[in-house]
Amino acid sequence: MPELNRQYHEGVKIEVDFNPCMKHKLVRKTVREFAEAELGPIAHEIDAEARFPLEVIEKMRPLNFFGLQVPRRFGGADIDSISYAITIEEISRVSGAVGLCVTVHNSVGVFPILKFATEEQKQRFIPKLASGEHIGAFCLTEANAGSDASGVETHAVLDGNGYIINGTKIFVTNGGICSIPLIFAIADPGKPSASASVFIVEKHMPGFSVGEIEDLCGMRANPVSSLFLEDCRVPEENLLGKVGDGMKIGFAALDTGRIGIGAQAVGIAQAAFEASVKYSRERQQFSKPISSFQSVQNILADMATQIDASRLLVYRVCALKDSGKPFSKEASMAKLFCSSAASMITGQAVQIHGGYGYSKEYDVERYFRDAKVTEIYEGTSEIQRMVISRNVLAEPM
Amino acid sequence: MKQVPMVTELPWDAKTGTLKRELSEGMMNPACKHALEAALRLKHEHKGHITAITMGPPMAEEILREAIAMGVDRCLMLSDKKMAGADTLVTSYTLARAIEIFCADFDLILCGCHTSDSETAQVGPQLAEELDIPGIAYVEDVQINSRIITIKRLSDNFLETLEMDMPGLITLTTRNYAPRYTPIAGLQDAFDEPNILVVSADDLGLDEAFIGISGSPTMILDVYSPTAQKKNIVMQGTPKKIVEELLERFDDRIGSVIRKDLKVEK
Repeated sequence: MPELNRQYHEGVKIEVDFNPCMKHKLVRKTVREFAEAELGPIAHEIDAEARFPLEVIEKMRPLNFFGLQVPRRFGGADIDSISYAITIEEISRVSGAVGLCVTVHNSVGVFPILKFATEEQKQRFIPKLASGEHIGAFCLTEANAGSDASGVETHAVLDGNGYIINGTKIFVTNGGICSIPLIFAIADPGKPSASASVFIVEKHMPGFSVGEIEDLCGMRANPVSSLFLEDCRVPEENLLGKVGDGMKIGFAALDTGRIGIGAQAVGIAQAAFEASVKYSRERQQFSKPISSFQSVQNILADMATQIDASRLLVYRVCALKDSGKPFSKEASMAKLFCSSAASMITGQAVQIHGGYGYSKEYDVERYFRDAKVTEIYEGTSEIQRMVISRNVLAEPM
Repeated sequence: MKQVPMVTELPWDAKTGTLKRELSEGMMNPACKHALEAALRLKHEHKGHITAITMGPPMAEEILREAIAMGVDRCLMLSDKKMAGADTLVTSYTLARAIEIFCADFDLILCGCHTSDSETAQVGPQLAEELDIPGIAYVEDVQINSRIITIKRLSDNFLETLEMDMPGLITLTTRNYAPRYTPIAGLQDAFDEPNILVVSADDLGLDEAFIGISGSPTMILDVYSPTAQKKNIVMQGTPKKIVEELLERFDDRIGSVIRKDLKVEK
């Protein structure tokens, strides 16, 4: 921990407070109350029917869920990153799919515009995104590009005062409902990385269309879909940053997005843990509640420990981000750890529930399906390890 | 308004028979939250200014922050070790003195009709007495027209409509005025610019002898979880003897409830 040692040698007192402050407690209570009341009764059904709950989204709009970290002047709540993580965690604890919609919109959908857009572009796009009137999306993945962003084949050709974009994006979270997707395209097929660019595409633009909603294993209430761009003409003023800024924007967006996915994984794991504690106290075998068996107790202990560690990793990266320090490595660590913990914990929750856990009657199988994808999207676990090791190897010994 | 323990968790100290308040998470008493919602709707309709008041330990500040996030204009927090252990009478007395000093020109006081942790439903009506203003308890609907407060309340099986002049006090049930959700931006505001005035006993010029536990005439003899039991008893003998025995049994049962032997008192 070179950073810590340096501070120690300089005689800087390092104070770490692990107790949540009053604000963070209140954020948790507030979001939990909303999620349990509004999403709790339908979470099972919207998963089973693969239905995006627009009626709840409507209620979330005036409560600032779509402008969580957007400055006040654009109509956002401008909350700190730990409050942000708590918000995502608590929504995801009840519905992973809605938590996904909110975190993807706020992090990779809105954040890149806030960070890289011109003032004029911000004025144009941010207020309607912050109010939730428009839902954002981030479109990098293609049939032949995902972990390898340089494999993007969607291309943009300069034509007068605009660009003609052609290509197909797949597995777009919020795809079916997004109105302002950020599209990654290359301007020069000979130099894909150096010419990668991001375009703010608007749903009404001719040539833009939405494909079928994907039939996925989990996160089924989120309308994940393909997006098609066929000779889609995008005016120059919709280019985010400059031509060639794509990689920079993408990495910055993903770093932020990973905090949200980490928090989402914590929420799903927490739900699975709570269900397991409850069930193991109630379920009787050999005339005793199964929570009295050491083999079950060990699982619960591991679950609790993994969740605690996950949450602390998320909060640590949030604190780093808010202090303005680099947080790429820590975001990857949090995302890697939280997602693999969530996968493990939700699997254990199914195990504790036995046959019932494998049944659609109980929620744990939904948690299990939802948790798996946290290891895949916003950079697979393999990509997180790549980011972390790259950072670790670059640090002075 | 009052901070009460979260309904889902009530850590109970079986030895002392008290609630371990320091271990429990607090929340705004549900009836108080409904009263706040009623106040916010009145403010929306008639303009005006809302002050939220609570008396409690420092952690009760949380419900005031929540009230700010929901839309109140300022808060008074009566918090002082000298105020600790107050019964309902002294609580009403202390609140009344604070209102006289800090909210002298109020039009309407809205209280929750009762709290989820003690259920006495006394503070609101006593506060109206202390301030010498009209008060109506168990209100379900409140409207204001040219300084006349019109309320509706369920009384037994019929709906009463009552009118009273301003200034007045009402206590609200949880039947109507479902509280709004708190916007996230409001939460941020509540911590960026909290308009909370912390008031001590000295600020109110109150003598320690009249507030807190030393000023409270109520003595709590025992607090325990009630248990329900059903038992059939067959009594035999002359009707007179049965009635006498029955009365004695009533005395015994009541005595065991308040943990005092009524017969000894006679």
